[in-house]
Amino acid sequence: MTPSSTMTAPPALDIDPFTPENLCAPEAVQEAIRETAPVVYLNRYEMYAVGRYDLVQTALSDYARFTSAGGIGMSDIRKPGAWRTPSPIAEIDPPEHRDVRKTLQKVLSPIVIRQWREDFTRVAEAQADAIIGSGSVEAMKDIVEPFILKVFPDALGIDMPRDAFPLIGEMNFNQIGPNNELTRKSIEAAGPHLENYEQYFSRESMVKGGFGEKIYAAEDEGGFPAGTAGVQVRSFLRAGTDTTIAGIGHTLYRLAQNPEQWAKLKENPAKAKAAFDEAIRLDSPSQLIHRTTVADMEVEGLALKGDVKVGCFIGAANLDPRKFPDPTAYDIDRGSTGVHLALGAGSHICIGQNIARLEAEILLQALVSRLSRIELDGEATYRPINTLRTLERLPLRLVA
Amino acid sequence: MPKVTLINPDDSRIELDVEVGDSIMRAATAAGIEGIVGDCGGGMSCATCHVVVLDDGYLAKTPEMSPTEDQMLDFTAMEREPNSRLSCQLVMSEEMDGMVVRVADPQL
Repeated sequence: MTPSSTMTAPPALDIDPFTPENLCAPEAVQEAIRETAPVVYLNRYEMYAVGRYDLVQTALSDYARFTSAGGIGMSDIRKPGAWRTPSPIAEIDPPEHRDVRKTLQKVLSPIVIRQWREDFTRVAEAQADAIIGSGSVEAMKDIVEPFILKVFPDALGIDMPRDAFPLIGEMNFNQIGPNNELTRKSIEAAGPHLENYEQYFSRESMVKGGFGEKIYAAEDEGGFPAGTAGVQVRSFLRAGTDTTIAGIGHTLYRLAQNPEQWAKLKENPAKAKAAFDEAIRLDSPSQLIHRTTVADMEVEGLALKGDVKVGCFIGAANLDPRKFPDPTAYDIDRGSTGVHLALGAGSHICIGQNIARLEAEILLQALVSRLSRIELDGEATYRPINTLRTLERLPLRLVA
Repeated sequence: MPKVTLINPDDSRIELDVEVGDSIMRAATAAGIEGIVGDCGGGMSCATCHVVVLDDGYLAKTPEMSPTEDQMLDFTAMEREPNSRLSCQLVMSEEMDGMVVRVADPQL
């Protein structure tokens, strides 16, 4: 429906979601975006924002009205001054997207992922054995990061220096947001690692038997447009590293804060995946993804202009009381899996989610089987990154 | 409430009440049926709630298959059969009362 002349524009807000303070404590911004109106306009960034569950779900999935072709970031990659080429998976719409997704899905089928379980378990158990007697740990650096940075690049068959990962991840998730001080500083910090960056994803660099090698083989068979395999591997690594580290960190934090939920998990370790899904509902690692309006349109009685970015505030939507009763409570029996939007929605829904759940399940089970409980051992702090919610420090006491 | 019968890989049978509008995957995982994994919660992203509908007549009464479901069924752990479906997409209706499905093995 095209807007009529009597229709009002979305109310404009002056808030800045991207100050370090608002990023580390996003609740006030989330509430302002979600509760002011179905769609709001952010003056400072000249774009729309949505934070209600149903509208975030719609904007993420209705590609006929909200395209991904303008890029998932805040800047429109089709316009002069855009700083990168489109991701050949995340930044195209159906129907072109369908064939690419299908090829990638084949490489990621349950049969392929099943083979990783044994490797992941071996690493998790060895790590858990090594830290169990240490009493107090900083869980991000001592448990979560070493686990993911071992098993995920190994499974993908990528040999990149491990110290490059956090810096490049921080840069990527800043760049999805505005070109602010955080973005500029993170580009500078990642600088030394960017020189050889493309090389890590070249055909010659793929480890034998890994996922990356299969992606190149799929390109050779015509499953991807020529010359895009390396970017597919890079997109996949980017999307699945920092988000999973963040999500498992949030899960441990919530389990430490909610001993009755830990007790439920201990009694039934099969709930590990549900514990992870409920944690990424509450603190969604990927907080913000953008779409672009394809034309002037009406949304819930508000007139939107075409060719404007729409910030989909996933973290806000996952705390929407219209959808989730008592939204800030952590309840691993809530049944949030498949309902929350932390993994996106529609045709671009996270393609690696089974791997993320497998990693979370294995690490949580290795810990829950060895520990009677975990307790907070100091203040947990967040890292200010434009579009990623992740913990900087998570001090935990491990009680055997 | 309409019922569906699931035949497990060990040939045991489970009769399951499924509310109209609820998916067989949701009802099965809520009932703790191990053969239905349903990792992604119904997002058609995991292909671990694979079932085979035994009767063609019932298959015709199920919701139409979307292109995404069709695509995911090509990547199931147990090879696809002509009447394969993802049970997260089998949203219950009164018409489907009495349907029998075989649980695919393996799912993962």
